[in-house]
Amino acid sequence: MSETAAPDTVTLTIDGQSITVPKGTNVLEAAKLLGNEISAFCYHPGLKVVAQCRQCLVSVEKNPKLQPSCQQTCGEGMVVHTTDTLSTNARRQMLEFTLVNHPIDCPICDKAGECTLQKLYFDADNHDSRVDTAKVHKDKAVDLGPTVVLDQERCILCSRCIRACDEVAGVHQLDFAHRGDHEVLTTAPGESLDNPYSLNVVDVCPVGALTSKDFRFTMRAWELEATQSVCNGCSTGCNIEVHHRNGRAWRIVPRYNAAVNKWWMCDEGRLTYHDLREHRLAGATVDGLPAGWDRAIRVAADRLASGRAQGQLAVALSGTCTNEDNFALAMLAKSWGHGKLRSADINANLAGVKAIAAALGLSTLPIFELPTTVKAIVALGDVLPGVDLARLKEIEYVALASHERGPVEHARIALPIAAWAEVSATVTNSAGLVQRMNAAVPAPGQALPGWEAVVRLAQATSVKLAWASAREVHADMTAAVPAWNGLKWAREARPLALRFAGSRG
Amino acid sequence: MSSHQEAAPSHDGPKVLAVSERSPRVRSIAVVRPGEPDVNYLAATAKGLAITLKHFARNFFLPMKSADERAKPGAPVDETWKNEIETVQYPEEKVTYPERFRGLHRLMLRDDGAVRCVACMCCPTACPAHCITIVPEESDSLRIEKRPAIFEIDELRCIACGLCVEACPCDAIRMDTGEHAKPVEDRARSIETKETMMARGIQSVATQGGEGPNWRETATPPSK
Repeated sequence: MSETAAPDTVTLTIDGQSITVPKGTNVLEAAKLLGNEISAFCYHPGLKVVAQCRQCLVSVEKNPKLQPSCQQTCGEGMVVHTTDTLSTNARRQMLEFTLVNHPIDCPICDKAGECTLQKLYFDADNHDSRVDTAKVHKDKAVDLGPTVVLDQERCILCSRCIRACDEVAGVHQLDFAHRGDHEVLTTAPGESLDNPYSLNVVDVCPVGALTSKDFRFTMRAWELEATQSVCNGCSTGCNIEVHHRNGRAWRIVPRYNAAVNKWWMCDEGRLTYHDLREHRLAGATVDGLPAGWDRAIRVAADRLASGRAQGQLAVALSGTCTNEDNFALAMLAKSWGHGKLRSADINANLAGVKAIAAALGLSTLPIFELPTTVKAIVALGDVLPGVDLARLKEIEYVALASHERGPVEHARIALPIAAWAEVSATVTNSAGLVQRMNAAVPAPGQALPGWEAVVRLAQATSVKLAWASAREVHADMTAAVPAWNGLKWAREARPLALRFAGSRG
Repeated sequence: MSSHQEAAPSHDGPKVLAVSERSPRVRSIAVVRPGEPDVNYLAATAKGLAITLKHFARNFFLPMKSADERAKPGAPVDETWKNEIETVQYPEEKVTYPERFRGLHRLMLRDDGAVRCVACMCCPTACPAHCITIVPEESDSLRIEKRPAIFEIDELRCIACGLCVEACPCDAIRMDTGEHAKPVEDRARSIETKETMMARGIQSVATQGGEGPNWRETATPPSK
């Protein structure tokens, strides 16, 4: 095996198993490839290696001392033991050291259930403390900034958060102070933890020392379920997990994707889940009064008829909505023949909107202004930047929106559609990557997926659009858009109950 | 010697007639029935009738004392009703339940009267009936970080299994009130709130965090 290996790889033996890895890989990562997770606190694959927790010590043959596997680069012919008595005892003793001053207040700690320290204790140690002296007391509930609270007693001084601030956010806002037993995490002199990526420190914290003010004390980790999705906050399209319970989203955490966001995401994106429960349009309205779906669709078709006949109808796609919703409405506009198509706003899915419009031979206008000839408009989403509201009130405005705000408040007919976390769909990020979202929570009230609302509108206007599922819309869409030819509708990712997920961070 | 013969009982058991080849534990045995009819039941029948007659005569001829009379000072408390009638005048009087009877929940208190519960969510996690709802909040106390803003138990859903009490790490919830869940006119009224359960609670002597004396040994009976 080693004879045939390329020169940029090395072959080593870990616990009797041979593995070939790229040069520069550390022993911890190599062992992980073999399914052997070596315990660690300070090591994070996305951060610089500091080897200060000593929780990942392993034996390397011909080396008299135990080596931290996070810092030990794999060498050709290296023989590593991770399960021998020497290194197993060393790791167990390091864990015991770490626990000396840890308060072990798991029942009231938000990290319980997804805590690395808790997991390692149950995996490796699981005996009472042998220390009979009192634990060192430090400050509880230290306010680090607008988003994060620190419990200095729970902190095990792994410095992941310091490095996350330094390397991900690029600002040195956290630091250690004092020495020995009294060493504490604190804000750097004159600083506050207020960078736009501050909540990543909560994710990387292996214990419950850093807690998000937004999520703190709301829900226990083991009660949540995780559904894989894509952040709808901007056009970067960070991969996320929506953590939800009982049909309600409770937090958003980043999901690793090497091509997009790696391990990280911004604070603003994390808080977008609040929007799912605010100002929602839960039922169809006609002239500001509640109406059923059937009546609203019928009235909409009647009122749009004259505008269609005279070529005075505009159709607005939306970057806040999914590819499938936009494609469905674009197809309807094309079937109607002469809709003036608008790309409504610069938002999460603008790249997808442009690709769809281009593929269907519709020209988009980036800046939204309503020509005086337009008498009616069908608009997706709740954002119509630059549009004159006074002018909008005069025309027949049919809104397909998830939220009742902005221009939607002036809609003659409002049709409720499901928001991003409530549908299975795809979105296209600014780099052109088409990514799949899964439905995490149910849509409120009578809201339907956007494409389904379009299908109903099409049927009322005698246009044949007969998709029965988002998958069928997706199939037609990928066939129609050249850049997306051959894309497959991935299997639905079912929610994962976090009580079975092990530790995070 | 085949295995099924080894499995057969050697002595004192019923007589084995046949043993299944496929499954040695399946056997046919000779069932012994009483040969002659046993006529001794006549004596037992007469004894039972005598007990019934005794109770009938006592209930028929002795005047029944009201609950008020029995509650008078000096009246024998425990044995009185036995002298008169075998019926308990529920709900005016109630039999005492066993010590480990699991009744209505109560929330225990700290020495300053605050709720002991730290909203750790162990009880709703353990609850098989999903009848416990806790909404945590940040406490304004320096000593305590987290506490329940809402703590509700739907007594209609509760199956009185006691797992919440077992799960509680800080003796915050008990079911030792000896009271039934009350009959209610609508379902919403069966929901016990934090306030109603705290009203039944007393100060707990357990050290928070599971250290100190075992509260089950030092517990005082619920105050009426």
